[in-house]
Amino acid sequence: MIAELGHFALILAFVTSLLVSVVPLVGVARGNAALMQLAVPATLVMTGGVLIAFAALVWAFVTSDFSVALVTSHSHSAKPLIYKISGTWGNHEGSLLLWIVILVSFAAILTFSGRAMPMVLKTRTLAIQGIVSAAFLAFSLFTSNPFARLSPAPLDGNGLNPVLQDPGLALHPPTLYIGYVGLSMAFSFAVAGLLDGRIDRAWAIYVRPWITAAWCALTIGIALGSWWAYYELGWGGWWFWDPVENASLMPWLATTALIHSVSVVAARGIFKSWTVLLAILAFSLSLVGTFIVRSGLLTSVHSFASDPARGVFILGILLFAIGIPLALFAWRGPQLTNDGDYQPVSREFGLLVNNFLLTAATIVVLIGTFYPLGLEMVSGARITVGPPYFDATFNPIMGVLVLAMAFGPVMAWRRGTLPGLRLVASSAIVAALAAVLAGLALVTGISLAGLAGIGMIAWLGGGILADMVHRMRRTHHVGFGARLGAIQLPVWGMWCAHLGMVVFLLGALGNGLFASEAVVRAKPGDVIDLAGNEITFAGIEARQGPNYVTSTAMLDLRRDGQLLARLEPENRLYTAERQTTTEAAIRPRLSGDDYAVLGDGDAQMGYTLRLYHKPLVSWIWAGAGLMALGGFLAAIGRARRPQRIAELDAPT
Amino acid sequence: MTEQSTNEARRTGPKLSFILPLIGFLILAGFAAAALFATLSGSRNPAQLPSVLISKPAPATPVPLLDNGLGTLDLADFAGEPLLVNFFASWCAPCRAEAPALALLAEGVTVIGIAYKDKPADTSAFLTQFGNPFSAIGVDRDGRLGFAWGVYGVPESYVIGSDGTVLLRHAGPIDRRVLDEVVMPAIKDAR
Repeated sequence: MIAELGHFALILAFVTSLLVSVVPLVGVARGNAALMQLAVPATLVMTGGVLIAFAALVWAFVTSDFSVALVTSHSHSAKPLIYKISGTWGNHEGSLLLWIVILVSFAAILTFSGRAMPMVLKTRTLAIQGIVSAAFLAFSLFTSNPFARLSPAPLDGNGLNPVLQDPGLALHPPTLYIGYVGLSMAFSFAVAGLLDGRIDRAWAIYVRPWITAAWCALTIGIALGSWWAYYELGWGGWWFWDPVENASLMPWLATTALIHSVSVVAARGIFKSWTVLLAILAFSLSLVGTFIVRSGLLTSVHSFASDPARGVFILGILLFAIGIPLALFAWRGPQLTNDGDYQPVSREFGLLVNNFLLTAATIVVLIGTFYPLGLEMVSGARITVGPPYFDATFNPIMGVLVLAMAFGPVMAWRRGTLPGLRLVASSAIVAALAAVLAGLALVTGISLAGLAGIGMIAWLGGGILADMVHRMRRTHHVGFGARLGAIQLPVWGMWCAHLGMVVFLLGALGNGLFASEAVVRAKPGDVIDLAGNEITFAGIEARQGPNYVTSTAMLDLRRDGQLLARLEPENRLYTAERQTTTEAAIRPRLSGDDYAVLGDGDAQMGYTLRLYHKPLVSWIWAGAGLMALGGFLAAIGRARRPQRIAELDAPT
Repeated sequence: MTEQSTNEARRTGPKLSFILPLIGFLILAGFAAAALFATLSGSRNPAQLPSVLISKPAPATPVPLLDNGLGTLDLADFAGEPLLVNFFASWCAPCRAEAPALALLAEGVTVIGIAYKDKPADTSAFLTQFGNPFSAIGVDRDGRLGFAWGVYGVPESYVIGSDGTVLLRHAGPIDRRVLDEVVMPAIKDAR
């Protein structure tokens, strides 16, 4: 009964979404305010329908209603409650519905928040969001109905992939989806702006919070995914350049570029057509990423082909969602005239460099991701280009970006001041030299890449500190506290995000260059030396979990004879699914993680143990957290001190 | 700028730089659609990639052996019997899936591994975890051997005849089906 209610609510939402897609646009064309105003209540009804449908699906999972086919194939009565709930989006149909929930919720938030917006822009934005919603609601209803019944209902379900039964993964998809789908708002604003034939500073100020929110969510979502891969997959790595990860990295890179370019539109009224194009492309990348590559939705090109209806539908949606806006861009883009020009030494120019490099990085990842997929489509061969490709292409681009990043913030709009630049350049050079000398003195046998990395990170850190000093000097307040207080919150946000990059790079470098690793076949009683620690293999025991049994190794980690911790890596056998997973044991510290994985083996042969010491590895995720925090600070700062948009429309 | 002259500027018509994104997208979409429909209609067969090396001698680029880094891998040492040469890497996820099929194959056929663009320590760790079916392992650290062979990516495998000529190339992981239907027939022909 609940499932039928959900199905009905979903149909209602679909019908309403058609209304949202058409009627308000007719209203705009005819200048009919009543038809335009319909966008708001219709959006709310659509959102209500989707929320009811999603609640019904969660309910079916929580109560283990095995008459619903989706619950049977992806859940099990013996599963802990949290994984029953997260199981709702651990599959194609459910994750699609979650995607739609976020899509329509953003539209609903816009109906409340965008009160000051010009009526036509708001109506058009809601209508475009409605069109996107209608397309995905149709996709859900016609090809991926989550409420399909199963008769007769089986006694129990088939379970959920045990690798997915994990708190990190319960949170990872919703966060990432908020980021992906948040970009739909930037997209809808861009298309609405193109329809208006008018993009101005006010437009940029309205769309900016959505871009920032999407970027923060993407940052956190990617970091959660990377953290999950680190502790769950048992490979000790945190980024593998696999297509699923790249699918989230590409929209992130594009959105990072977009955050910077929209700030130019907001401040100076230039880079308009580029910003609009970037907004369309960022959402396109998130669509391509979610629906072509993501394993939960379409496992790979294989499942693309195995379900013809879905594959064709998806291709249709992509054609329509990317092709039509790009055609609109080709037609209307040239009308977006810039309000001014820019100088070679100015923040505008710095942000242009930023955008150029980030776009190049996105393209490099795009090629590395889709070349193997393209080859697979053509020949059926599944290969991977892997880290060597990305090391050779992506890393140098990011290196240049990091070097340039030190200078961007100190440059002023219109015309940068030389004293500021001089201060940043000298600080960056001094910091880089000091770091390189320290590296040579302290680390024996440091590689050239290591030195370059350390120098680069210090360069960026020194540049950011110099920018802080420079800005505090420029304020007219007296006293350190007053000067600090005079700095606006968005600037703190920018510093926080940029320092997050420094922290992230330190983590990546520490882990990449200074990690120690031992792979051994050991018997109980053996002692392994690693990075100045002694690890004693105390033995193996079997344990019983809620829905799995384990084989757990007990490893005593000692330094100078003193017991630091007992690491207990284990292999789990999930009894319902008959699948095994590897659980790494990690002792996380700010200075570095000790990481142990149990491989196969037996009492006679000994057991394979993989042991790592990973310096600074947690800084990778801390850095991502700082970046997201910076985004939030900037967004809060702008919300508290809204620019007087009415003034912007006056000629400057 | 007055409203009038803005409108004047608006009538300049489409510009190439604004159409380029659409053209690029349509080309990609056309390619994707063609591939999708060809796969759906069954006319596109997941066939082997062509290789210019077929029926030619395998390129003899010397690479060090993994064991100690002192010796050099020379395929001529294995002449007189068919070989399977497998390019793999520890960073390559599909390579992990090959392990069972390669282990089975290695019971009757000499299998040579080439660690492609991989650190020797990582390669050793990979082999400890997933098993080592190889009679010899060459270290192709900078990918020069792979370049000479025309490797697209890893995993990729070649069947080499008793006389050292390349008989077959298979891009992608070798599973049981590929082993039975593609690799074994080629090796039988070679014998």
